[in-house]
Amino acid sequence: MPQLKMKKSHIAAIVVIAIAIGAILSTLADSSTYASFNLAAEHPSKSFHVVGKLNKEKPQAYNPQVDADLFSFYLVDNEGDEKLVMLHKAKPQDFDKSEQIVVIGKMKDNSFEASDILMKCPSKYNNPKDDLKAVTSQR
Amino acid sequence: MDIQYIGEQLLWGKIGNILVFTAFTTAILSALAYFYSFRTEDLAFRKLARQAFAVHTISVTGIFALLFIVILNHRFEYFYVWEHSNTIMPLKYILSCFWEGQEGSFLLWMFWHTVLGWILIATSKDWESSVMFIVSLVQVFLASMILGVVVFNYKIGSNPFILLRDHPDFANLPFIKMPDYLSRIKDGRGLNPLLQNYWMTIHPPTLFLGFASTVVPFAFAIAALLRKKFTEWIQPALPWAFFSVMILGTGILMGAAWAYESLSFGGFWAWDPVENASLVPWMTAVGLAHVMLIYRHRKKSILSNFVLAAVTFFFVLYSTFLTRSGILGDSSVHAFTDLGMSGHLLLYMLFFLFLSAYLIIKNYKHLREEHDEDQISSREFWMFIGALVLVIGCLQISTTTSIPVFNKLFGTKLAPPADPIDHYNQWQVPIAILVALLIGIGQFFKYKNTDLKEFRKKITFSVIASLIITGLSSFYLGAYRVHYYFLFFASTFAVVANADYFIRTLKGKFKNSGASIAHIGIGLILMGALISNSKKEVISRNLKNVDLGKDMPNKENIMIEQKNDTLPMGNYYVTYTGREKKGVNVLFNIEYFKLNPVTGIKEKQFLLQPFVQINERMGNVAEPATEHFFTKDIYTHITYAEIEKSAGEHKEADHDSDYLPSKKQNLAVGDTFVTSNSFVILKSLNKNINHAELNMKDSDIAVGAQLLIEDINKKTYTAEPVFMIRDFAIYTKEDVVDELGLKFNFEKIDPATGKIELSIAEKKTNRSDFVIMKAIIFPGINILWTGCILMIIGSITAIRKRITQNKQKTSSQEA
Repeated sequence: MPQLKMKKSHIAAIVVIAIAIGAILSTLADSSTYASFNLAAEHPSKSFHVVGKLNKEKPQAYNPQVDADLFSFYLVDNEGDEKLVMLHKAKPQDFDKSEQIVVIGKMKDNSFEASDILMKCPSKYNNPKDDLKAVTSQR
Repeated sequence: MDIQYIGEQLLWGKIGNILVFTAFTTAILSALAYFYSFRTEDLAFRKLARQAFAVHTISVTGIFALLFIVILNHRFEYFYVWEHSNTIMPLKYILSCFWEGQEGSFLLWMFWHTVLGWILIATSKDWESSVMFIVSLVQVFLASMILGVVVFNYKIGSNPFILLRDHPDFANLPFIKMPDYLSRIKDGRGLNPLLQNYWMTIHPPTLFLGFASTVVPFAFAIAALLRKKFTEWIQPALPWAFFSVMILGTGILMGAAWAYESLSFGGFWAWDPVENASLVPWMTAVGLAHVMLIYRHRKKSILSNFVLAAVTFFFVLYSTFLTRSGILGDSSVHAFTDLGMSGHLLLYMLFFLFLSAYLIIKNYKHLREEHDEDQISSREFWMFIGALVLVIGCLQISTTTSIPVFNKLFGTKLAPPADPIDHYNQWQVPIAILVALLIGIGQFFKYKNTDLKEFRKKITFSVIASLIITGLSSFYLGAYRVHYYFLFFASTFAVVANADYFIRTLKGKFKNSGASIAHIGIGLILMGALISNSKKEVISRNLKNVDLGKDMPNKENIMIEQKNDTLPMGNYYVTYTGREKKGVNVLFNIEYFKLNPVTGIKEKQFLLQPFVQINERMGNVAEPATEHFFTKDIYTHITYAEIEKSAGEHKEADHDSDYLPSKKQNLAVGDTFVTSNSFVILKSLNKNINHAELNMKDSDIAVGAQLLIEDINKKTYTAEPVFMIRDFAIYTKEDVVDELGLKFNFEKIDPATGKIELSIAEKKTNRSDFVIMKAIIFPGINILWTGCILMIIGSITAIRKRITQNKQKTSSQEA
């Protein structure tokens, strides 16, 4: 049996550096980008995070009898563009209260096909001032 | 003029503030005195340092107690109490208020450090001064986090006893000028609904003890560098490294259990940044414990001991920074809100990073080894490789978790991967395979050198047995990704090989088997995670939909109506039998049935009550319900339900209680709209109403809206509500279609556009209550939990063994 010997510190250094580069590259490759509808439309094959606000004037559609996994609404992104978002999930609870919305998905034709949604409920980040204003107004 | 406020109890806060400052100053005093004590070896300094640390401990405990008292008594004049608690909160969640807020969680962390500090004072002998110097230094930083003083326009820390009326956010609000403001505040803002869960009463303190415990090996390592006693620290620090592994692991798993039971993502692990932030220090702590074992047995790899002790502590600070600086923002569900402490936290982290880096580099020539090659057939070689693999895993997790940090540093706009689970798994599955294989072979190697023939002889059984088990399992696992089969084999091998070692080599002697038991546990955790994740089955299949591919799962929710009969779901049939309100929760009753093939009758199996916690301020939170079986769990989650309806608090309730509140429609002739059971078309406006029939005068104006209504069966009905004007007063006559439970009223007419406003009320019985739900079967989840328990038992056994060994060693040295 040959006496195999290896210099540990060298192996360690080489492997760690190689993997670190790999990890950074794969993070870059897999990471999505915060973008506008415009940018998403330019790269229809790539997945994006679009941040925007719900247009409360326009209709929302959720007909669970027909499809429990489709909910559509109009979102205005940070550049002011408005697009129809087709969310392929159940309508999120408390959707109407949400202020800022992040949709994750791809642009297809003229609408945004979203696989997921993140909502910022204003209540959670609510300015506590409002609560105290209410306190002082009551008699 | 000073305002005399009514009803405030300011004494608590005054004592609290004194204690906060005492805690901070005594931490400094203790650090300084310990520093001089180990520099001069003067016992007088050590005595002073101990006294300072004692006062510090009393102060920290006192702050804790005072905060507890003010929360318990609902003293809303204190901002912390108002922000994090309310009067309707159950008593058992009072402690949870401590970890909802940043100040409270820093306090908890400090409290654990004081407990650990006293154990160190009692046990660490001549290491006391140098080690406690580092612990006290860490306490200085933590205590500064709750100071809340402003120095040169920079606010240092956030004080838990700040008064509501002194809080800068409310500086100009009118209430601070009202002497009776306190009596107007009816309640606090309350606890985040996610925290109102029994796991949340034990998971945070356990995790914080885990975080706190990493300071011990770190303090020993730094103390060793300061004292230039580079190797002697391993022995006393070794049990602590295993303690960190055990308690941090327990804390993480409790968090996983919480996520599994009460979060809606369906699973125990989601690679959420906050979860990652606690996993990474655990992985490096495992690496540290193993390189410490290498040193203890072979007097080798001392450099890696220092590096990993520092790295582990650094990752604890880094994860604190990630979760508390607000930098994670949108990317995590459970990050704390920003209190403007990011600069402070950054300073804390960088101080200890540079301190340890400086000391290691400065002493590098003492730490590096001339002959650092190992026999490939030695246990230490493979243990070292194992530690390396864990560090690599950490690098990858940290890189992706740090995306928001990169954005801040480089101004990029990267978002986390759209499918984080896939992204992490492509890295962590191979790493788990390597770890499991190393766990399997590790103990069969001997330190220094192993007779490979003997090794082969001993390991063959496990390899063959695992291959057979994997082969047999393929009937169950079925078509499967190749690397999942590798992981299944590797984790089986880890379990079998360690069980074999435990029985044949150790002869089942429990005392010495900590490593084997813990390794069996890790193998089972990996296996359980693999099976429950890869074989999980969403049984609430919504089969009507077009498949949009793997990236767009759109078939996972189904709708169940209360009036409907049973819906098939997997092997089961389910019904929704209604909802009930219990406290702040609305419970939905979902009954599961199974078809008896002999009688053809659907027999009730069990009832699940997933619920939605109503919380006006934080938003409603849905919590799943899970039925546990020996081999699988059935998870049921309400994804959508009309909550407003259940509250039954419509202020403009219809007079007619048989009807739901009416809806209004603006229509032109020819327009159509839908109700829950039909289409309605406005055919025409009828101006030739028979006046006599309605007891009308000739001068009255009357218009009828002729409606054509078509139900789902294409059956048609008509209705004609009438709008009248008599002597400038408006009258309406409603019309009802009894068969469809619809009531129409002609409310308004706009002469300019010819549009009319129609109100439609539906009978309550028309629309039955419904829920949208998701149900998932998780097989083999109990393998995972069994593994967790074994891992904890094994680690405790290992700690006990190390402590006894240390005692024997010390007593033999003394003898």
